[in-house]
Amino acid sequence: MVSKTAAFSEPPRRNFIGRWLAADTLSGIKRQRAILGYLFLLPTIIGLVVFIVGPMIGSLALSFYKWNVFRAPEFIGFDNFERLFSDARILVGYRNTAILVVMTVTLLEVLAFTLAMLVNRIANRFLSTFFRTAYFLPVLLSGAATAVTLGYLFHYDFGVINYYLGFLGIEKIKWLTSSDVVLIAISLTTVWRNLGFTFIIYLGGIANLPTEVLEAAEVDGASGLRRIVRIVLPLLSPTILFATVTDIIKMLQFFDEPFIMTRGGPGDASRTVVMMMYESGFGNLEFGYASAIALSLFIVILGVTGVQFYLSKKWVFYR
Amino acid sequence: MADKISRRDLLKMIGISAAAAGVAAAPLVKVFARPAGQDAVTLRFQENADDYAAVVAAFNELYPNVTIEFVNVTGVDHAEIASKILAQLAAGTPVNIGYAATEATQLYAGEGLAMPLTERALADADEMAEYFADVSPTLVEGMMYEGDLYQLPRDFNAAHIYFNKSLLEEAGFEVPGEEWTKDDFLAIAQATTGIGPDSDSFGFGWTNRLWGSWTPWFFVNDTNLLTEERAPGGEAIWSTFYADQPLAEGRGGGWRWPAPQANNPAMVEALEFVVGLTNDGLTPQVEIGGGDRLQGFFTSNKLAMTIAGGFWAGSLNNAGMEPGSFDVQYWPLWKSQRHQFGTGGAWILNGGGGEDQAWEFVKFNSRTEVMLMIPWMANASTTPVRRSMNTAEYWGQTGMENWHVFYDALDQRPDTAPIPAPVFSIEMTNIYTRFTSLATSGEMTPQAALDGMQAELEALYARNA
Repeated sequence: MVSKTAAFSEPPRRNFIGRWLAADTLSGIKRQRAILGYLFLLPTIIGLVVFIVGPMIGSLALSFYKWNVFRAPEFIGFDNFERLFSDARILVGYRNTAILVVMTVTLLEVLAFTLAMLVNRIANRFLSTFFRTAYFLPVLLSGAATAVTLGYLFHYDFGVINYYLGFLGIEKIKWLTSSDVVLIAISLTTVWRNLGFTFIIYLGGIANLPTEVLEAAEVDGASGLRRIVRIVLPLLSPTILFATVTDIIKMLQFFDEPFIMTRGGPGDASRTVVMMMYESGFGNLEFGYASAIALSLFIVILGVTGVQFYLSKKWVFYR
Repeated sequence: MADKISRRDLLKMIGISAAAAGVAAAPLVKVFARPAGQDAVTLRFQENADDYAAVVAAFNELYPNVTIEFVNVTGVDHAEIASKILAQLAAGTPVNIGYAATEATQLYAGEGLAMPLTERALADADEMAEYFADVSPTLVEGMMYEGDLYQLPRDFNAAHIYFNKSLLEEAGFEVPGEEWTKDDFLAIAQATTGIGPDSDSFGFGWTNRLWGSWTPWFFVNDTNLLTEERAPGGEAIWSTFYADQPLAEGRGGGWRWPAPQANNPAMVEALEFVVGLTNDGLTPQVEIGGGDRLQGFFTSNKLAMTIAGGFWAGSLNNAGMEPGSFDVQYWPLWKSQRHQFGTGGAWILNGGGGEDQAWEFVKFNSRTEVMLMIPWMANASTTPVRRSMNTAEYWGQTGMENWHVFYDALDQRPDTAPIPAPVFSIEMTNIYTRFTSLATSGEMTPQAALDGMQAELEALYARNA
């Protein structure tokens, strides 16, 4: 009797790479999973390389060159960095940026936390939604539009703010033309536009606090302020860390508001590091020097964020 | 043998690849010269599609093989627009045909971005003669650099004083005559301050920038921020197109500004004068930037006088001012009545390909009927460079009686000159506005501010020597 057993076709011959990829071994399966994972990541990785890592490294390389767009770049070693460390105006830019960051982030965190606590207590669903929407709406506006509009409001002679201050018997303030107060005007403008984002972060954090702990504190007779200081703030510390880290990184890159409202004036009183970077590159056509400034700012942001994370070990509590 | 790619290895590979790409690309970035165009040519044109759609459609009837792509570039002033053009150049996507005002003319020409047009203009002399005969040589000289013509002027604006007639009448004044003086100006400014519907008007307003600003005041005080001289050359243009014109006599190959003189006594005197206007409450706080805010104050009867060129007339109508409710006059006489202007026109990218077609397009744009296809040119929102377009009919829509001073600033005031704008004008303007703001805000005396300005300008000149 002739065997009718079906003849199995031989597996196709593969080259080395094919065999390596399709190996039916434990390590082969692990490898396939790893490759699949990286394939899923690939679009994001390509985006990161093309739009972030590549330009960053390009900018790093450019900081060793003298380049004005029109002529071929000329390698000048560390000249741009030597100039950076002896440029008194850059120090002014960093000082202005630091003042703006401290003022703006402090205001943002305090206001956003306070508003989030208040809105969280609103039981009426309609009112709660209304306030959430109202506080978040400015985030959707462009920085340029906000700066132009608030520039009108802060105008010394015709601005609404000085008009109403007049009713209170307060003398007109040179919001945009005095070195003493220009950073306050810019900070207030930025706070108004960005408050909604930080507010939503805090609101989410507060909504997720364990109610049993808060109720236990209330039963134990802890006052409202004590509950906030001893319970809410420690429990909210990871949210506070996230909000302050993201806000500080964002504010270290101050540009829209001072550029549109004052162009850095009067003098350099409201000129930030990023404005100086922009002006060096696209105004003075010193793209190498602008890249050196960008690199210095990158290091500062990295340092500040690193310090924040290091210090967070002492005050952030993860449940 | 490693069976899997570790995360660390992957990051290493990404880092190395990006570093290699970055380092390799940085020294190679340049304006790429493309081969000469064949039949079909695409040109990137720095203009707004809405404004230029009719022009391009008409051009395409003559040249169907040329595709014009619009690249809209906006900015609060011409320096900012130039910055954005350079950003596109840095990104490797420059425009083939750009529009530059005086602020950027020498920058583009001096750095080799713009192509010299002298030879092409002379080669097409028969065709171009009508255009040049209609355009003041003052404007043509303003578009020259070191002996060559780089742009065909399209529009210009000399700085004049605009009057809000409602406030003027309330103060018992009429629009002054052509020979009015700085003292007349001061008298009107004082009388028109604190009146109006809310008794909060100001006599005069200006913003801190290069054109306009307090620049006209030092022009009429017979000085300039930088010393002036004429570059040699340009004879072919003058002898071919302006042979019999007295206004063309003594012209050269464009302006040079060899050295700064920010703190000379006449400059200090001019700045003290404008700072005094603020201190005396005749001028609102001076801010940096464009004229939008001034326009709002002027149209709402908060300003009696301000600085502007022809571009303001149509804008004021558009903003709701009735024709005839405002007028214009020359800048007042101080030590002289020398006016400043800025002009602008199309330039062609050097080595970008399609230069022949680009030149045809630029020439096409210099025709009167083509200029009038641009909506804002047609509604008197700038001063056309063609003398024949500056007519009672053209300016009549604004209701101004003294519209003739726009072109007469060139024809009747032969010493009128462009704003100082050397190759490094953007950086110069930053220094100028920065120290001006310190003086107008009262944080420095005019003398100290101009001393600081002079020091930084000297350093700028040294860097660019």
